[in-house]
Amino acid sequence: MKALILVGGFGTRLRPLTLSVPKPLVEFANKPMILHQIEALKAIGVTEVVLAINYQPEIMLNFLKEFERKLHIKITCSRETEPLGTAGPLALAREILIDDCGVPFFVLNSDVICDYPFEEMIRFHKSHGGEASLMVTKVDEPSKYGVVVMEETTGKVEKFVEKPKLFVGNKINAGVYLLNPSVLDRIELRPTSIEKEVFPSIAAEEKLYAMVLPGFWMDIGQPKDYITGLRFYFDSLHKKCSSKLAVGSNVIGNVLVDESAVIGDGCLIGPDVAIGPGCVIEAGVRLSRCTVMRGVRVKKHACISSGIVGWHSTVGRWARLENMTILGEDVHLCDEVYSNGGIVLPHKEIKSNILKPEIVM
Amino acid sequence: MGSSDERVVAVIMVGGPTKGTRFRPLSLNIPKPLFPLAGQPMVHHPISACKRIPNLAQIYLIGFYEEREFALYVSSISNELKVPVRYLREDKPHGSAGGLYNFRDLIMEDNPSHIFLLNCDVCCSFPLPEMLVAHRRYGGIGTILVIKVSPESANEFGELVADPSTNELLHYTEKPETFVSDRINCGVYVFTPDIFTAIQGVSSQRKERANLRRMSSFEALQSATRSLPTDFVRLDQDILSPLAGKKQLYTYETMDFWEQIKTPGMSLKCSALYLAQFRFTSPYLLATGDGTKTAAVIGDVFVHPSAKVHPTAKNLLTLNYAQIGPNVSISANARIGPGVRLISCIVLDDVEVKENAVVIHAIVGWKSSIGRWSRVQGEGDYNAKLGITILGEAVTVEDEVVVVNSIVLPNKTLNVSVQQEIIL
Repeated sequence: MKALILVGGFGTRLRPLTLSVPKPLVEFANKPMILHQIEALKAIGVTEVVLAINYQPEIMLNFLKEFERKLHIKITCSRETEPLGTAGPLALAREILIDDCGVPFFVLNSDVICDYPFEEMIRFHKSHGGEASLMVTKVDEPSKYGVVVMEETTGKVEKFVEKPKLFVGNKINAGVYLLNPSVLDRIELRPTSIEKEVFPSIAAEEKLYAMVLPGFWMDIGQPKDYITGLRFYFDSLHKKCSSKLAVGSNVIGNVLVDESAVIGDGCLIGPDVAIGPGCVIEAGVRLSRCTVMRGVRVKKHACISSGIVGWHSTVGRWARLENMTILGEDVHLCDEVYSNGGIVLPHKEIKSNILKPEIVM
Repeated sequence: MGSSDERVVAVIMVGGPTKGTRFRPLSLNIPKPLFPLAGQPMVHHPISACKRIPNLAQIYLIGFYEEREFALYVSSISNELKVPVRYLREDKPHGSAGGLYNFRDLIMEDNPSHIFLLNCDVCCSFPLPEMLVAHRRYGGIGTILVIKVSPESANEFGELVADPSTNELLHYTEKPETFVSDRINCGVYVFTPDIFTAIQGVSSQRKERANLRRMSSFEALQSATRSLPTDFVRLDQDILSPLAGKKQLYTYETMDFWEQIKTPGMSLKCSALYLAQFRFTSPYLLATGDGTKTAAVIGDVFVHPSAKVHPTAKNLLTLNYAQIGPNVSISANARIGPGVRLISCIVLDDVEVKENAVVIHAIVGWKSSIGRWSRVQGEGDYNAKLGITILGEAVTVEDEVVVVNSIVLPNKTLNVSVQQEIIL
């Protein structure tokens, strides 16, 4: 089986992290975002994954070679010379995705984190016999998104309504598709939207079916959702494989700690914390609802209650970070500094307090 | 004094990538010294000023950037100005004087009688030949360019006191808390090779003190420089301050403009200062036009020869050329549509400004696109954090969108209006 992951462009919503690293390689729960998806695809027997990208492929290629080696799966990059939207990249990768036996291929949006119930999706796709399947997820405020209107029992999709003013349904496109190769015949090599052009035409022929995604779903393309997504991910990890999570008297709730990280005495870590490789958490530190990337040092008595600390940064003694503070790569917060929602670009030293959410360039 | 054999070497300190975060977001895409002011890279202005020095043998650029960032520029400017320009990379920080000392062998290769030291991010008229004449008259080891500023702003710089008749430097202090003087250090100097001896003296003294400290813990408490490595020598604190009042250093005062280019806002201000200077030194560089065959030009404007200003396409009888200026600089391959108004802005390479758009007090980044009837403007406060609007590389402002006092990082598309915001 084959799969295509829509990686797209600059990842500007995840700045300042994406100023240092391309978005697919930004770690989520101590693993590059794209690796979560590639591993899940490998687990159900996908042999080749195509990444549709239009930015910084050189940096990606090195990492991909390593993933290829470790996972024994073929990974190729399909480079868009102009942005092709959400369907155009499929046309660009046609030669890889096309299959004479009609074996369907997966398409994933790279920002999506969920349980990836691919086996269930394959069964669903076979059972309805249509041309395309997509995952949908239930949300509280559907009018922020594109709503998928479908028959409840069969899942047959009637139509898509973009940001509806009146309630038409509460299921939105989750960004996970399983498509027959014949769908490729519907897509030209030009900027095309899968939601606005391709799916509606398949739905009109009554060949598009939607499956409600079991479990959690999150679009982690921006910091706020990244942190919320971590919580959902950890809940799911706790149920499936809680041995990976940390335990101890200094741990509250779900906490993931890389084996090379060091945690000092008298700390209290959690809930929903990920600590990356080579991190040093000194004595008396309190961490909750945050991610600490590779190589970070958090000095004594500091407290981080919501945020992301970028690679190789340091957080000073008695510093306090809260309200979605995001530190880019190599940012050094001096002792006793307070940050309320500061967003700090890479290679900065912060000596004074950030009293209200602001961007520090 | 001053035989035709006396060669002069100029050294321009250009800094490095991690030091100047104040020049973001522009420095995310280009080293600050290469950012264009009045149509020429920032470092070009001191380099062309050096060309006026008689018997100039060589220009060195010293900094922390990778060599490849300057390779192209250095070879093209050497060809253009017919003077050897070379970029030297410092392997580690040596301080403002230590950097000069670090490369002394290379600098002394031409056996120069005098060495100019300039900071790249200084915007002024660089009266270098006049400084050299004055320096020879004074007979010291160094002459510092100074300027009078307002007393309130003086403490942002190095303040100094000079003897009004002999121009000797009597006293120097860096960024003092209390008022010392309204004359400040412009960051442009001329030295004789004795300066290397003075710098070495500071290094040796520090080494001695370091050794002494191992024997006396009292010394350790006293020394303010205990954390500095012995080869880290700062020009201001370690050379100028101690040598003041010893008949070694002198001052030369300029009455022209002077600014430091630390932020994008200041680069816009300094671009205007250089454009105004062109009017006197090289008026052929400035654009002219009255709107009949090309853009209507108001005040000082630079338009790169490859930039295109379009008349209205539909009806050739009704010409609708853009109105440009004052203080506008347009870089290579930019396209300016009909009915556009540009005031006080820098439009970088490959930008497209569509019909009837307005850009005021802004910097528009390379390859950006400004939509029809859109308005990109800043207040014009060059010192405020959001005082001018800055669009990074490849930013698209869609039709009719208004962007006021904001900074937009590269590769963003604005389809709604914004005010007072930083868009990451």
